[in-house]
Amino acid sequence: MILLDFPHTQSAHCESGVAANLLTHQGLKISEAMAFGLGGGLFFGYLPFIRINGLPLVTYRAAAGNILRQIASIPGVGMVEKKFRNRDEAMAELDKTLAASIPVGLQTGVFWLPYFPKALRFHFNAHNLVVYGKEGNEYLISDPVFPTPVRCPAEDLARARFASGPLAPKGKMYYLTRVPVELELTPHIIRGIQSVCKMMLASPFPLIGVKGIRFLAKRLGKWPQRLGRENADLHLGHVVRMQEEIGTGGGGFRFMYAAFLQESAAAMQEPRLQECAASLTAAGDTWREFAAMAVRICKKRGGPEASYPAMVACLNRCAAMEEKVFTELRQWTRQQP
Amino acid sequence: MQRRVEEEGRVSMQCPTSGSTETSSLTADREAPVYSSYQKITDGLKIVSYVINDRGKYELTPDFLWQPVTVVNHQAWEEIAKKTTISRNKVAAGRVSCLHYYMTANQMDIGLVAQYTGQPRWKVCLHLVPFVFARVSADTLRKYAELYKISLDDLCKGRLLAPFTMTNNQE
Repeated sequence: MILLDFPHTQSAHCESGVAANLLTHQGLKISEAMAFGLGGGLFFGYLPFIRINGLPLVTYRAAAGNILRQIASIPGVGMVEKKFRNRDEAMAELDKTLAASIPVGLQTGVFWLPYFPKALRFHFNAHNLVVYGKEGNEYLISDPVFPTPVRCPAEDLARARFASGPLAPKGKMYYLTRVPVELELTPHIIRGIQSVCKMMLASPFPLIGVKGIRFLAKRLGKWPQRLGRENADLHLGHVVRMQEEIGTGGGGFRFMYAAFLQESAAAMQEPRLQECAASLTAAGDTWREFAAMAVRICKKRGGPEASYPAMVACLNRCAAMEEKVFTELRQWTRQQP
Repeated sequence: MQRRVEEEGRVSMQCPTSGSTETSSLTADREAPVYSSYQKITDGLKIVSYVINDRGKYELTPDFLWQPVTVVNHQAWEEIAKKTTISRNKVAAGRVSCLHYYMTANQMDIGLVAQYTGQPRWKVCLHLVPFVFARVSADTLRKYAELYKISLDDLCKGRLLAPFTMTNNQE
């Protein structure tokens, strides 16, 4: 039996939670929101050519692994990342690393994790967790969205690590090798904000960032004609699920990012960040407004105020608000030394 | 079933349209019946979310799930249930093999089944035809049985069991 001393802290999003927990384990205590911000986790993308359960992918956060990769690129932080072809090899490597008393982060597919709530077992393959021990044939897992550590049989974990479909994890595992004793946050906060601003404002692709929100708005307005009423409602429900279901911290990660801005404002004594946090919260509230409207349509209780054109207007408002926040943030980063 | 859906609908109507986070958290406290349906979604799992407290600071607040999520989650499962029922009827009518039922009930499509079993898509397509499925080799059947966590016997006899995600959930 292997049992490592691992600080399990519950968090709202799996990847930033894993990052924060792993860093804390190595002695660098940071919050989940801070990890999310340093990793440049916020994003928007409407990618209809990637299908999840036959519905277009709408994502409110950076691609799986992005947060960790960006944190690993901080000087002084070392991270090893491995992918595998062979299931046995992947599990053997996991055991070997555990035996060297290193907690290991894994990317998994939630469909195969037996401890997950039934209602959330969709084919979603970008769920992160940390394995911190093994007892008999069961792994001890610190899953950041769960309040307490959980257990998972080896067989199921192996399946989860080799889930197929979009965003297939391919047995991906990662662990930190070293972290700096003290981390001067300021330059990394600026860098994290810069990368998010770049994605949200300056992407050349029309499906990404603020442009992506506008693109989704345009498409969404046409859904009832293109797909028929019922199918349009399904698409709409899917957008809301991606925005609000477990692992987002609410409001499509906007609240979590606002929490990061608030924390940074406090750390750097910077009132402008505080203002940006407030405007981003307002944007998150508008996203929620959009979701509430969508839900009323899905329940077929749409009054005159909840219709597809109204939602297009609401999305465009979100886009305008976020454009303003990130333009302000970009200006702020440019003025930094 | 229908009754419960109605109830959720009524409650979600009361959710603030332009509400800030504070007001939505208040609604969550006020609405006892929704709380139970949220528990159903997460199986009693207590999750945390970012909510602004009275001093305007963000806090990780345990045990708070924005209610409309339940509605869309429910909608997604209704759709899966609908597709599964259609598939069940098709199997009963002998138009597709029981593999089609298991594929649908486990929210998979042909591409995904092909990837999981390491076969080309056209083969999986063929196996959906009852005539072909009856002549599939034991090795291939074993792959399918393993994928859906059912016994080989169940698959051969074409018993339509509930998907494993719905049955063997650990407490």
